[in-house]
Amino acid sequence: MAEWTRTAYPQRWGVPLSLKHPATLLGLGLLALFGYLILAPVVSILLDAVHVNFGDAGRIGSPQGSLTLNYLQRVFTSPVSHRLFWQPLLNTLLVSLAAMSIAMLIGGVMAWLLSRTDLWGRGWFSTALIVPFMLPTWTFALAWTTLFKNRSTGGQPGWLESMGIESPDWLAYGALPMILILALHYIPLVILLFGNALRRFDAQLEDSARILGASRSTVAFRIVLPLMRPALMSAMVLILADALGEFAVPYILGLPVQFDTLSTSLFRALSSRQTGVASVLAGAIMVLGCITLSIDLYLMREARRFVTLGGKGAMQRRRPLGAWRLPATLLAAALLFIGVVLPLGTLFFSTIMHIPGRFEAANFTFDYWIGRDLSTVALNNGILLTPEFWSAAWNSLRIVGSASVCAGLLGLLVGYVVTRSPWRWLSSALRQLTFMPYLVPGIAFAAATLSLFAVERGPIPALYGTSAILMLALIADQMPFASRAGISAMTQLGKEPEEAAQIVGAGWWRRMASIIVPIQKGALVVGIVLPFISGIKGVSLFIILAVPATDVLTTYSLRLIDYNYTQAANAVVLMIALLTWGGTVLTQKLTKTGLAQGLEN
Amino acid sequence: MPTINLDAISKQYGPQAMAVENLDLHVESGDFMCLLGPSGCGKTTILRMIAGLEHLSQGRLSIGDTPVDDPARGRFVSPEKRGLGLVFQSYALWPHMSVERNIDFGLRLQKFSERERRARTGEVMEKLGIADYAKRYPSQLSGGQQQRVALARMMVLKPQVLLLDEPLSNLDASLRLEMRAELKRLHQAFDTTIVFVTHDQWEAMTLATNIAVMSKGQLQQVGSPDDIYARPANRFVAEFIGNPPINQIEAASRLGARLNRHTAARSIGIRPEDIHLARTGDAGTLIAQVESVMPTGGSWVLELNIDGQALQLSTQRRPDVRAGDTAHCHIHPQHLHLFDGDGRRLDSAEASSATPFNTPYMHAV
Repeated sequence: MAEWTRTAYPQRWGVPLSLKHPATLLGLGLLALFGYLILAPVVSILLDAVHVNFGDAGRIGSPQGSLTLNYLQRVFTSPVSHRLFWQPLLNTLLVSLAAMSIAMLIGGVMAWLLSRTDLWGRGWFSTALIVPFMLPTWTFALAWTTLFKNRSTGGQPGWLESMGIESPDWLAYGALPMILILALHYIPLVILLFGNALRRFDAQLEDSARILGASRSTVAFRIVLPLMRPALMSAMVLILADALGEFAVPYILGLPVQFDTLSTSLFRALSSRQTGVASVLAGAIMVLGCITLSIDLYLMREARRFVTLGGKGAMQRRRPLGAWRLPATLLAAALLFIGVVLPLGTLFFSTIMHIPGRFEAANFTFDYWIGRDLSTVALNNGILLTPEFWSAAWNSLRIVGSASVCAGLLGLLVGYVVTRSPWRWLSSALRQLTFMPYLVPGIAFAAATLSLFAVERGPIPALYGTSAILMLALIADQMPFASRAGISAMTQLGKEPEEAAQIVGAGWWRRMASIIVPIQKGALVVGIVLPFISGIKGVSLFIILAVPATDVLTTYSLRLIDYNYTQAANAVVLMIALLTWGGTVLTQKLTKTGLAQGLEN
Repeated sequence: MPTINLDAISKQYGPQAMAVENLDLHVESGDFMCLLGPSGCGKTTILRMIAGLEHLSQGRLSIGDTPVDDPARGRFVSPEKRGLGLVFQSYALWPHMSVERNIDFGLRLQKFSERERRARTGEVMEKLGIADYAKRYPSQLSGGQQQRVALARMMVLKPQVLLLDEPLSNLDASLRLEMRAELKRLHQAFDTTIVFVTHDQWEAMTLATNIAVMSKGQLQQVGSPDDIYARPANRFVAEFIGNPPINQIEAASRLGARLNRHTAARSIGIRPEDIHLARTGDAGTLIAQVESVMPTGGSWVLELNIDGQALQLSTQRRPDVRAGDTAHCHIHPQHLHLFDGDGRRLDSAEASSATPFNTPYMHAV
């Protein structure tokens, strides 16, 4: 600790008085908690990667628990390394980079059209085009298979196939659909981030350049674009980091044709009980995440040079599109159709048709929703009449709900400590620790949690198969968002309202209960609801950690897919989409803050 | 009513960042003490240390006979137990409570009876003229009203010491005048010791019974407003207080050499109102080029050039000169402020006993 803190904070009985500051005590408690929830799993899985795991003692030839390079060799240099790691790595990079490029290109153009031109129905489009971001990624994946699925895998054929058109493998599975789907998913993010930056751009900067005689294109390339660079870069990195860990889409579209990404390769390793290999793969994914995020941190530091951007000179002027107005509006409409109407429509129609793709009156039915005594092997009732569905829904709400409430409260407390603690190292340690899960894609984090909590350690019993392990992993996974929301809320509030209460005689508990928490009510709601939405639609944590007893909606629907109950699976996915969309709309109504602000904080 | 004693207090934020250095200050009971200085001089830090929101690094702070912060003895009384009032620059009203609840909050904590609370809140709101807004929320109030609520929130507890952190800086000009009169009245009516922080010298001069001028974490001078204006202890105080600012002339310059009557003096200060226009030249006058004449409403500021030295003159009487004219001026030696090489004031007794300017050289311009 720095020398000055000791001089600034006097000692009593050898204990610095600053230690008695409630924020310090609270901070130390939080540090211990997150050390256990976040740091310990990560360290544990990294250790697993270089130690002989349970059951491998005979094959490796050294006792369980001793140091080994066996797993590293197997993943990086052995003859199977190509299938285990290198090909999945290439696939991951290909899919992520391609999806990001397409999303940046289309999203960038749309952001500009929506914020700077006289496009028809701008306000309406800017809400509608955000919808894909509120849906789970695999909604699109399922819609895609519903349309293009072919005979390479069993089960019901896709619509194209039923209409007699052969759907080739490259269209039905693998890289192409994955890239397109992820691009569709990330376009809204670009529209939000880039559009916001464009809107906040100070028109006076542009005007002064024009007055000095710069042409319109000079202004665009010399003034606007350079100033937009941080926003663009930031969007790129966010997309990349998120796409690297994407699990559900490759699981649905990649596995049938052995198109593995790092996350599915990790999943395979885990489900075939190769925990050592899985640990190495999880480590590799973390390293990739760290690289992307350090790029982001570097860029954010760069971006600070542009802070003057948030001036009051809002960009009111809109550029008339002239003859391009109609085509541009059609473009937006097309994007809306492809990104929202088509996938959701497809899914919905698929749930009310006996045979896919046959649009005849006799083929339509609501049996898959509310039917009874269907002539199927299992699942004889419609999905809304199936107890498993409701128990999965209840599990989702219960587990994700309580984890989100915990995460939201903890986030606010982290914000309190970070803004109040007299010990600067404590604030920065907490900030970085709670941000760490962001570096670790969900599937790797789930594997890490499993590696720590699956067996009994000290006073903590083995948690595998309980909802506790899911909650712990979820809380940790949601902390980056929750703590950022908490920190920004507390920073905006400032110290003074609390100090005023202190002056009139309020003790710490009183200040928390009567001042801090009531003032931060809105921020707390956001800090709970947004993690809740992402938790409800999340797959990667559950696919590793959930067991049938703790089935949630996402794992339930994935299992239905595996058993080829296509209609039922799609119906469950639609319900999830409805839940997340409703949640998002509710948050926006409650707090009057746009999703965009939430994402940027 | 307690006195406040600051004995050799220091506040250090980092190895290089000394916010307040070895400062002694004594605030008498019933004082209206103003801490005056440019931003970043440590005046708010002192206020926050008195309130207990910052800890001392060194020294001793006592309120009345009770030491409330004494790092050497490990003694620290937390802010909620000091029984002071503090009005923040930003007011820091609690946005989720109505005006009434904001004012009532402290009384509730002290477990006053419902009746007592009602009576006291009502009384203070009446006194400050905010009774009509009792049910409103802070966001529905204007700046001046918010300021009154912030004040009422503290006054209702009848603190013996009231600390004010630039309470007028967020108000517009007319409200500021009104609130200033109000503060002065409150000081008399409530009979409290007030410590007030501001960077506005006019506010300090008009309100305070005593002013402590600060710069870079160090106390420059403490005294009554008149005293500080008439006898600035050093160059900083002389330059910081006064509008238009005091004219500083290097003793080594031509004009400086003519005015200086003290061997140790390195610079000479003349207040703009201490330079007088004269109708005709006589033995004691200086000849000045008039560069410009600026009316400021009720008074005039003239920019003069005497011996190549730019000087400002201010007068309450309409000057009968125009830019480009040559004028005659008087400077009475009594009004000169002499400072030594370290900027400290030299005893003016020596300066005033010096001979007036009647050397033949005066006419040589």
